[in-house]
Amino acid sequence: MERELISKKELLDSMGISYGQLYRWKRKQLIPEEWFIRKSTFTGQETFFPKDLILTRIDKILNMKDDLSLDQVAGRLSPSLPDYDARKSDLMKRNIVTSVTMQRFAGEDPDQTVYPFEKILFFYVVDKLLQAGDMSMEEGDRLMETMRDHFPKFEGKPCELIFIRKMGVSSFALVSVPSEWHFDGGVRIVARLSMTECIEQLKGILG
Amino acid sequence: MTEIRPDMHINGVSSTPGGHYRSASIDGVIKVEGALQVDGLARMNGVVTVKGDLKAHELEGDGKFKVQGRLSAGTARINGLADVAGSVDGEHMILKGMLSVKGDCAVERFEAEGGFEVGGLLNAGTVDIRLYGRGKAREIGGESIRVRKMARSAWKKIWEWMFPKWNPEMEVDVIEGDDVDLENTIARVVRGNRVVLGPGCRIGRVEYGSELVRHPGAKANEEVKTGA
Repeated sequence: MERELISKKELLDSMGISYGQLYRWKRKQLIPEEWFIRKSTFTGQETFFPKDLILTRIDKILNMKDDLSLDQVAGRLSPSLPDYDARKSDLMKRNIVTSVTMQRFAGEDPDQTVYPFEKILFFYVVDKLLQAGDMSMEEGDRLMETMRDHFPKFEGKPCELIFIRKMGVSSFALVSVPSEWHFDGGVRIVARLSMTECIEQLKGILG
Repeated sequence: MTEIRPDMHINGVSSTPGGHYRSASIDGVIKVEGALQVDGLARMNGVVTVKGDLKAHELEGDGKFKVQGRLSAGTARINGLADVAGSVDGEHMILKGMLSVKGDCAVERFEAEGGFEVGGLLNAGTVDIRLYGRGKAREIGGESIRVRKMARSAWKKIWEWMFPKWNPEMEVDVIEGDDVDLENTIARVVRGNRVVLGPGCRIGRVEYGSELVRHPGAKANEEVKTGA
């Protein structure tokens, strides 16, 4: 799957932002270093960005910037996990994770159990795929296991979750970003989720 | 709970391990054998080498000093020669002399009087350069970018000694900013909203948004107005 790229100039034109803004956001680490891709063109070296990622990111910055300072925006956008925990009953009450998912994946934990952010994130991701109807409960178990075993290894670096299926056999992978993958013909990519994005969404919901 | 850190005082010709200090005052020919972190002011005087990352709230480097890792300082005042093998970040960099950085340099204000060499991107809100020697960077990006050639000064003799046969000239691949005002600059591409090309500029391609002012002594092969 080749990522679509957008040149710096196209980006500035289409979003109506200036060079100064872009460089300021880069300094504040609102835009990750690895999104700045240097490529040779016929006029020399130019900078490109992964199109879907950068467009949603800039949209987000422009929206948040009115209410929050740039440093606060940076905190909200950073891929590192916040020091945040929540009670199981709160997660269900606020409908952050549906009770069906909680029942299935944390049925034995008492209602007052306090989960760290990372655990809430796992529930959230599983819940998302279940609700989208892409994944069965049994596959959810394996996803839970995959994230628990491998997600901490990324140590806050951006990663993506890939969910593929071939002839009914499903498989999960966590890969670092940016990366390219090419599968054989029989493979269908059921879901591709940016964990960083999920962390941001969840941070937004939890407030 | 905050731990009270010790102060570091060292002078003469010696070496010292790194560590985490409240303040540091280093005079003489000193090697710091590792990373050094200072919560307050770090003063370095003489010939100082830090064999790791240097992190300080405030940094004053006089003489010749070298960081083999990355340099991170809220305010950095460098008088003399500084050499950083990693990257530089911070709020305010005030340079009088010569700075050489292998990686990127990202600060809010970059004020340089003298010469510099940045291997990667020089990224600052305000870039204010007064050239006595040669300036070099792969790329410069920011809000306001200004380069001036300084010819005469009371310090001229010193600068001539420091930068023997260098022309006060800046060489960059790409310069991008909102407000770009250049003198004595050689660049492949200059992009900005408002661009002023002063004497001694030799530019491959200029892209400007609202305004381009070109001095008769400036050369640009291509001028393109972009945007609405």
